[in-house]
Amino acid sequence: MRFTSIALAVARKDLMSEWRTREVVPALAQFVVLALVIANFGFQFDSRNASAIAPGVLWMALVFAGLVAFGRAFAAEREQSSLDAMLMTPASPAAIFAGKALAAALLLVVCEAVLLPALALFFSVPLSFAVVSTVLLATVGMAVLGCLFAAMVARVRARELLLPVLTLPLWIPFIVIGGQAVQAAMGGGGGGMSQATGLLVDLDILFVVLTSLTARFVLDD
Amino acid sequence: MSSVVGTALTQRFGSEVALDGVDLAVDAGEHLAVLGENGAGKTTLLRILATAARPTSGTLEIFGLDAMVERRRLRARIGYVAHAPGLYPALSAAENLAFFCTLQGVDRGRVAEVLDLVGLAELSGRLAAKLSRGAQQRLSIGRAVLHDPKLLVLDEPDASLDSAGPELLARIMRGRTAVIATHDHALANRLCQRTVELRRGRVAGVPTRLRVIH
Amino acid sequence: MTSRRLETAAAAAVALMLVAAGFIFLYAPTDALQGPVQRIFYLHVSSAIAAYGCFAIVLLGGIVYLWKENATADRLARAGAVVGLVFTTVTLVMGMIWAKPIWGTFWTWDARLTSTLVLWIIYAGYLMIRRLAEPGRQAARFAAVVGIFGFIDVPVVHFSVTWWRTQHPGPVVINDALPSQMLVAFFVTMACTLFLAAVMIAIRYRIEVLIDQAAERVVLAPIIASSEAGTAR
Repeated sequence: MRFTSIALAVARKDLMSEWRTREVVPALAQFVVLALVIANFGFQFDSRNASAIAPGVLWMALVFAGLVAFGRAFAAEREQSSLDAMLMTPASPAAIFAGKALAAALLLVVCEAVLLPALALFFSVPLSFAVVSTVLLATVGMAVLGCLFAAMVARVRARELLLPVLTLPLWIPFIVIGGQAVQAAMGGGGGGMSQATGLLVDLDILFVVLTSLTARFVLDD
Repeated sequence: MSSVVGTALTQRFGSEVALDGVDLAVDAGEHLAVLGENGAGKTTLLRILATAARPTSGTLEIFGLDAMVERRRLRARIGYVAHAPGLYPALSAAENLAFFCTLQGVDRGRVAEVLDLVGLAELSGRLAAKLSRGAQQRLSIGRAVLHDPKLLVLDEPDASLDSAGPELLARIMRGRTAVIATHDHALANRLCQRTVELRRGRVAGVPTRLRVIH
Repeated sequence: MTSRRLETAAAAAVALMLVAAGFIFLYAPTDALQGPVQRIFYLHVSSAIAAYGCFAIVLLGGIVYLWKENATADRLARAGAVVGLVFTTVTLVMGMIWAKPIWGTFWTWDARLTSTLVLWIIYAGYLMIRRLAEPGRQAARFAAVVGIFGFIDVPVVHFSVTWWRTQHPGPVVINDALPSQMLVAFFVTMACTLFLAAVMIAIRYRIEVLIDQAAERVVLAPIIASSEAGTAR
């Protein structure tokens, strides 16, 4: 199917570029670890409330890393001319968008592979399949939303300011539900793990569909 | 038969008027040069002709189709070389072209053909970031003809090319309808049959017919 | 709508709000539990409903614009966003004034307050992208997309916070069944507020029309050099 092959080609191109230049992932990984270190000094926590604080730290680090990772997907000036060149082909804007969102999501996942073990280490919290799956599910929804608005603000002034304003309100459901699920899985109180998974999947489907439909209005004139 | 007919093309960004009622006609197989100072509106006009941007008002017909409505179909037949090369620096010349082959839906074999055509066959494995500005421009030009378009829209393609540049441009423009924006009057004389000059968003004077020099 | 009719409508809206005020202060009984502070409820909830109503107009205007590129739809959406932001601000402020004496705190992260705050941020973002994007089609397109996502986001946020609250029970929002006199006062206030919102949108729409006309009346302005410097346009 043309859509899939184009999306995969775009994703592959972005990932290959990142692999060769290694611009984003090392910096993001360092940022994330640094955030955890600062959290240790910022929050007074001990073995009792670590599992209540760790989820909050996790999602904060994830949100800031996400804003950087997705913002970069469309940021560079040369990216803009390249995007124009891509749009001049028969490839559908939705397929191009899907490819870029996929690549950006994978870069964030690599970053999460550093964040989660570091979190488990620094905060002495258990790292279960439930935590990992929750974070991965949330990444999907956050990626499509983050990339859509990153594409929008790329051509606009004050983009560093505008991206969080537009994106964070839409990320709140993911953070609320994902945060609760992670907290439950880490033993910090409250339940709702299985419900949360289902809700995250629903949200993912909703926003993947919506962003696919609106991508062409954002990317193309 | 006119390939490209633009009527009263106007482009405004808020209260700024970049193009003001430009009329344009290019016959099939004709090469038209768009001359003008920086800021006259050449890039704006060319983007509209390439269907990369939509005008605020006016109509545009390309190959008999309404350019506002049939953009997808028309883009398959248009090759656009933008002001900025827009290449992927971390990919090699060949990889850049191969990627666009996938997007264009053309066979991968075109990569080698086009690299030959623009004289980059030896540099096919070099990363785009490591190519000289002239080589990057050649690559950008090559990318525009991967899908063998019938209309070429070139925005100052001669800017970074060396002395062999005009010959390359003549080669790729042969047999296609072309609109080329340039400062270089001598180049315009050499490559094109007609010129149009833009001044502050409007057509200045009357489009002139050039003596064809071969 | 002509100036004349707008003026009459505006006068009527003001008069109706005075009528509503009469209902609120003179007709409705004092709440047994909360005392006179409870009277904020009428205007607070009416503002919230007006704000959501304005947002629905932003949504519809945006969808029609994306579909048909209709300038009227876009102007209506712009008007709806400005008026909606005003009503959302009113809702938030009145909510905080009401919360302090009742709950002892100006703010709590329950579903309704949170989603109203999110609504405010989204409206603000809508107006920001309108201002910062390329004026004309790009600004209208981007804003329409923000409006669509925003409209869907608010109930989603509301739902997710409600769900979260089931895991962490918090302050209970007082939700008594209203005696009939209060209900009457409420419906009167709501109707008057909605009428006020509609009039405000009509006035703002008129302003947007004038703004668009002013932009078009510019005779050839100096051309920006950046159109030749390779910036993507």
